[in-house]
Order: sequence, then C-alpha cells, then structure tokens
Amino acid sequence: MKKQLWLLLLVLTLIIAGCSGGETSNTEGEEPVETSDSKTLVIANGTDIVTFDIHDHNTTSTEAVHVNMFNYLVTNQGEDGFQADLAESWENVDDTTWNFKLREGVTFHNGEELTADDVKYTLERVAKDDTLLEHGNYNQIEAVNVISDYEFEIVTKNPEPALLNRLSRLGSGILPQEYIETEGWEVFLENPVGTGPYKFMEWQRDDRLTLEANTEYFGDAPKWEELVFRSIPEDSTRVSELLTGGVDVAVNIPPTDVDRINETEGVTTVQSPTQRVMMLVLRTDEDSVTGDPLVREAIDLAIDKQAIVDSLLEGAGTVTRTRVTPGNVGANEDLYGQTLYDPERAKELLAEAGYPDGFELTLTGPNGRYLKDRETVELIAAMLSEVGITVNQELIEWSAFNQRYQDRDFAEMFYIGYGNSMFDASLALDRLTIENAEGETDYDNQEVNDLLLAAEQNMDPEERAQQYQEAQEIIAEDRPQIYMFQLDAITGINERLDFEPLLNEMFYADSITLK
Amino acid sequence: MKYLFQSMVKTIPVLLLITLIVFLLIRVTGDPVSLMLPETATEEERDSLRESMGLNEPLPIQYFTYLGELVTGDFGDSFRYNTDALSLVLERLPATFELAIASMIVAIIISVPLGILSAVKRNSFFDLFITGGAVLGKAMPNFWLGIMLILFLSVTFQIFPVSGRGTLGHLVLPAITLGTGIAAEMTRLIRSSMLEILEQDFIRTARSKGLGESIIVNKHAFRNALIPVVTIMALQTATLVGGTLITETVFAWPGLGQLLVQSVNLRDMAVVQAATFIIAIFVILSNLLADLIYRFLDPRIKYE
Repeated sequence: MKKQLWLLLLVLTLIIAGCSGGETSNTEGEEPVETSDSKTLVIANGTDIVTFDIHDHNTTSTEAVHVNMFNYLVTNQGEDGFQADLAESWENVDDTTWNFKLREGVTFHNGEELTADDVKYTLERVAKDDTLLEHGNYNQIEAVNVISDYEFEIVTKNPEPALLNRLSRLGSGILPQEYIETEGWEVFLENPVGTGPYKFMEWQRDDRLTLEANTEYFGDAPKWEELVFRSIPEDSTRVSELLTGGVDVAVNIPPTDVDRINETEGVTTVQSPTQRVMMLVLRTDEDSVTGDPLVREAIDLAIDKQAIVDSLLEGAGTVTRTRVTPGNVGANEDLYGQTLYDPERAKELLAEAGYPDGFELTLTGPNGRYLKDRETVELIAAMLSEVGITVNQELIEWSAFNQRYQDRDFAEMFYIGYGNSMFDASLALDRLTIENAEGETDYDNQEVNDLLLAAEQNMDPEERAQQYQEAQEIIAEDRPQIYMFQLDAITGINERLDFEPLLNEMFYADSITLK
Repeated sequence: MKYLFQSMVKTIPVLLLITLIVFLLIRVTGDPVSLMLPETATEEERDSLRESMGLNEPLPIQYFTYLGELVTGDFGDSFRYNTDALSLVLERLPATFELAIASMIVAIIISVPLGILSAVKRNSFFDLFITGGAVLGKAMPNFWLGIMLILFLSVTFQIFPVSGRGTLGHLVLPAITLGTGIAAEMTRLIRSSMLEILEQDFIRTARSKGLGESIIVNKHAFRNALIPVVTIMALQTATLVGGTLITETVFAWPGLGQLLVQSVNLRDMAVVQAATFIIAIFVILSNLLADLIYRFLDPRIKYE
C-alpha cells in the first residue's frame, strides 16, 4: 500500500512538472515582470468584442478594437478639431449639405478599392435600417449622393452642426460594399474586411481576437506584427496576467490594486479621464420636497464629493459641476474641477426652506453597474443625514433599475452615470429640455430650453458653444442634476510600452509604442 | 433496450418543463432591450428594437413560437452576437468537456487513494487528516480557491499560466479548482462505502483463505464499493458541464459556463435557452449512463 502511494505521488509530481514546461518557462523567479521587445501587443479587456457588424452594437470596448480594422472619414481630435482620415477634405456647402473628397488609392484588406459608393452603402445602411442599434445616431442623414468615385455629398434632414462628431465615432467605419453584397453578411461577419492598419486573423469568442499588420495600409506602416485582444472578465485575473507579463495592457484596474501594480517592477498604471460623469438626478416639480431650489442647493452643499473621490475611488475621479467635460464641444471649463461643500450653509438653507428639523427622501441607485456605486450612495446618505436629511436608500440591480429609469418611476432622487460617445454637449444635456425632462426631473426652465433647442441646430460653432456654456451655468445653479465627479479609467501597462489612454477609450494600436 | 427507450420517452416532459421555466425566468428578470441600449437612448429607439426582437408579442405566443422553432432544431438568434444560438453553444462544448474531464481526473487521482487509505486505516491519524481535509475541500468556494491558486502558482511562483485556454498548462489550475470540491465529496463516499464492504462476510472469507491485504482491498472490496461512487461521478460530470460558471469566469476559460453567465447578464434569451437545454440533456444522459454502469458493475441489478 505504501509503495503504491509513493508511486502515485511520483506520477502526480511528474504531471505537474510536465505541465509547467513550455511557454511559462520564460518567466523566472518572482519579480520583476520581464519586459520583452516582442512585436505582438496583447491587450486584456473585461469583455469580448460583440460583433463585427459595426452598426449593430453600442459598446465602447468593441469599438476600441474595431478602430484598428476600419477607418472613419474623419477623426475627432477633441480640442484640435477634426482630422482627415479616409476623407481628404470636406466643406459645409449649406445648412444641410456637406461635400467630401475621398482619399484616392485606399484599398480594403481584400484588395478592393475604396470609392464613394462604399461610403454611400455604409452610411445609408445605418441611417435607414431602424433595427440596427446605432440607427438613432445616424438617422439624421437623409442621403449620401455620389458625385464621382472620390467625391460625395451628405445631406441631412435638419441642420446638423454635430455631423462630424457623428461621423467620427462608433458605427462610422467604412465598409466594403462589393464584398458584402456579393458574399453576404454572414461571410463578412466571419471574415471582416476594412481599410485599417490591422486585418482580421482569428476570433475565438470569449477568449481572444487576433489581428495582423496590414502591409498595404495607406497610412504609416503598422507598428506591430500582431495584436491580440484577450477577454478576461475577472478583475483579479486581469491584474495577475499583467503582473506575470501575460498581457501588455489591462483595462479597468480596480483602484485597490493600483499600489500593488505600481510597486512591481516592470509594470505600472496610468489614470485617465473618461466621458462618464456620475450625478444625482432630482425631481423639481412642486409636489416633491426637492421641488424647492433651496432644498436642492442644500443637498448639493451637504455632499463632500472630493471626499468620495479620495476615499472610495482612491483618487480615480475629478469633481465637476457640469456634465460637459473638457474635450467635448461646448464644454464649460469654469465649472470643471469645481465642487461645492458647505454643510453649515446647507443647514441654514434647509431652515430657510422651512425644514429646520430636516425631512425624509428616497435615493435610488444601481448596485454593481458603476465603480463603487453602492458605497457612494451609502456615503451620500450618511452625509445628508449630517445636515438632517433622512435618506431611504433603495439599491437595486441594474436591469431592474433600468426598467424603472425608463418608466421614469423614481422618487425624489436617483444616482446614475452618463457617458457621451458624441463628444458634444447636445447629447449631454438633451434630457433637460422641457419636453425630455417630463416625468424625470420635470425641469422647466424656459431659458435653458431655448438655449438648448437653438444650439441643437446652430451651424455657427462659436455661438453654439456659447449657448451650451450659458445653459450649463444656469443648470449648475438650478440643480435638476447635481454633478458629482467624472470617473477616471485606470489602465495597467507593461513598462516596455509608451501609452497614453485616450478620452474616448479607443485602443489605436499604433499610438502604443515600444520604448 | 426497452428500458432505454422508456427512459428516453420519460425525458420529453422533463425537457418541456425546463424550456418553460427557463423561458419564463429569463423574461421576468429583466428587459434585454434596456441592457442593450445606453442610458441616453430614446423611447422610440427602445420600442423599435423591442419590436424587431419580437418582444412585443404576448408571452404565450412568444413561447409557442419558440417551441415550434425548437422542434425544427432552431433555438433562435443571439441578441448579443447576432448569430445562431445553438451553434454558439456547441462551439463552446469542447472547451467545457476538456475542463470537465480534466477536473474529474484530478478528483479521481486525489479521492481514490485517499478514500481507500482512510477506510483501511480507520480512526488513525491518516483517517482524521484525510476526512478533515475533505471537509475543508468541500467548504472552499471555487472562486476563492481559483484566485488563491493564481496568486500562488502563477503570480508568485510562475509555474502555470494565469488564464485562457491553449496548452496543457492552462488546464491545470482550473482543473484543480473544480476537481478539489468533487474530490472531497468522493473521498468521503469511497471511505464510507469501503468501510461498509470491509465488514462483510465475503471479505472475512477472503482473509481466512489467506489472501494478501492488498488483493482484498483492491480487488474484492474496492470494486464493490464503486457503485455509489459511480453515481456521484456521473452526476458530477453533468454538473461540471453546466456548473463551471464561476471557475470559467475566474480563469477566462472560453467554455459554456462563461457564455451562460454573460448571456444571463445581458438577458440574451436565445443563448440562455439553448445552453440550459443542452445542459439538461447532459444531465439526463449522464443519469442514464450511471444506471447502465451499475449493471455492468453489479450484474445482480436488472431493469424491467
């Protein structure tokens, strides 16, 4: 019996030793993380890409991968305006017509040449098919008229000042018309073809997507031979992969792991702003206790937003008094980085409003949707209780929360975070027009309403931006939404790389370089 | 043969009931449209998407449409991936089988020698140590064990890769994570089953014939002790096919479990329905298999 046991132990040891060979042998000892000059870039995302149908998804993390395979007509450079990509030049002919000249000699990965017909096919598909998830962001386009192989016009239904914003985001990659029409969508989805610097190699769902360099690329030669996008849903596993050199870049690092990564030689973290602004949304109708502007101001003053950023987010956020943050058209930078906190004044305001002994209200928040959402709601409730407001916390799972959000069925106050893939104030503020606010905040400020509606169709960029900035000033005082902070993204990177995360959270592989 | 046929027929109402329960559960727990569109989507956008997904029909009509398509082998399309749900599920089976088989091997390697040893050396220090270890093994949550294994064997000592699927090395940690819990259960079962057999008359006869202890334990007792163990193994294999959700997520293992977790989170109805259906079939089949193996192990068992 004893002999057999030893034999078994021996076999077990052999199995384990056998498995440990191969690819893991290149890592020696504990630390530091080995940095190599491999021309393969491995990026770990929290989720897999959803599809190669660029019009039928709305996930930023999928688009972040697509931008390496497809090109937009123009790219949005934030404060530096728009830059030519597939379009060489463009001109706003009249309020609803835009003329574009296309770059010549661009080929798709299958060798087909890019012409204006491809642009027409791509944009009209998403503008006309209302079953596509991105339809809502493109249905402003009436038609694309082909003038020649390299020239076309985009006609919009109404004046569309944010057209270039729309054309430089999710869903704007130009597709190969001939390939899709002759082979069919099924073939395209299995073997997607674009014009980008990297072309499709292999996709194993929920495991990895591999792209290879497109040697025929019209722009600068691709810097990497191969890109691998891995899907690793569990945060701690993603961190472990980074720490062992298994991946070069890991997204969504939990704030609690930042120190551990920074203390390990060979890897580091970078913190960068995102488009998501967390806020409290308040009812402003007369039947609600928050209908009194003094009460809303008191709530704002009672919450120490900076303390929430510092303690719960470990610094991964920036306080703000507007939702339109820098990098967006119409941003009011005077309100950014600002916050109000004065609990004594809050108590006075409550007394002035007729609530010297405080009152009760309900705050609803999602549980598990945003970084530390539950903890934030709990902390807000505690801060409000300091000035005498008793908060009934209602924390619910996201899909249930979302259902009530759509039904506009919240009590006095709810906690939510909005993104903004348009990089324009119009999307950020559109829930505050009188029509759109009905049933949610019931915010009813004629001046703000007029400013927002005028800006929506104003083709004069400077005046338009001013209108939005003015509206933000008034909103910050009226507080139908109390802005808390802009969330930062924390990305873990191997120190062999130079990488600055972008505000739009895209991974342009060629902007990530070896040191 | 007749027994086999009867068992097959009996599975039909079970499968029907499963489709109904899953169908209803996935619909009452949340609206897929609200999860697919961003916070800023308009009511019109939500409506047109709901319409295109066929979610505006009354529930009974949706259910019968689904059943009608199911009969022809059509599970519908995944909302998330826009492709046939059944092929998505089948695509994942090899990865899940690989992990399930490896976990079972780990469980057998651990539990058989320990279970026997524990029974033979009853009430000794070994026995105490092994039964104590079994309780611990059963009590450890998978996600915790998985993360700890990654921390020690991948990050600190860098023996195994952290996550993903590919080489044999990738298989080791998830297989140990899953195999440990099963091993714990099987060890205890083998021990008690062996103890019972070792008390019986034929063992005493064998001993009185002067047979060596190892022959008595390995040949006479162990084979007879196997019957309850096989049941648990068959049931556990079925659970492994459907129940590797947490382990697959921790190790980013691209199997059925991960697909199911993500599909449930997004209320990707067609995929959840297809996956649970396939898992149900596996559970039923492995039960049947366990019955058949009984017969092989113990010819006294007959089926009418």
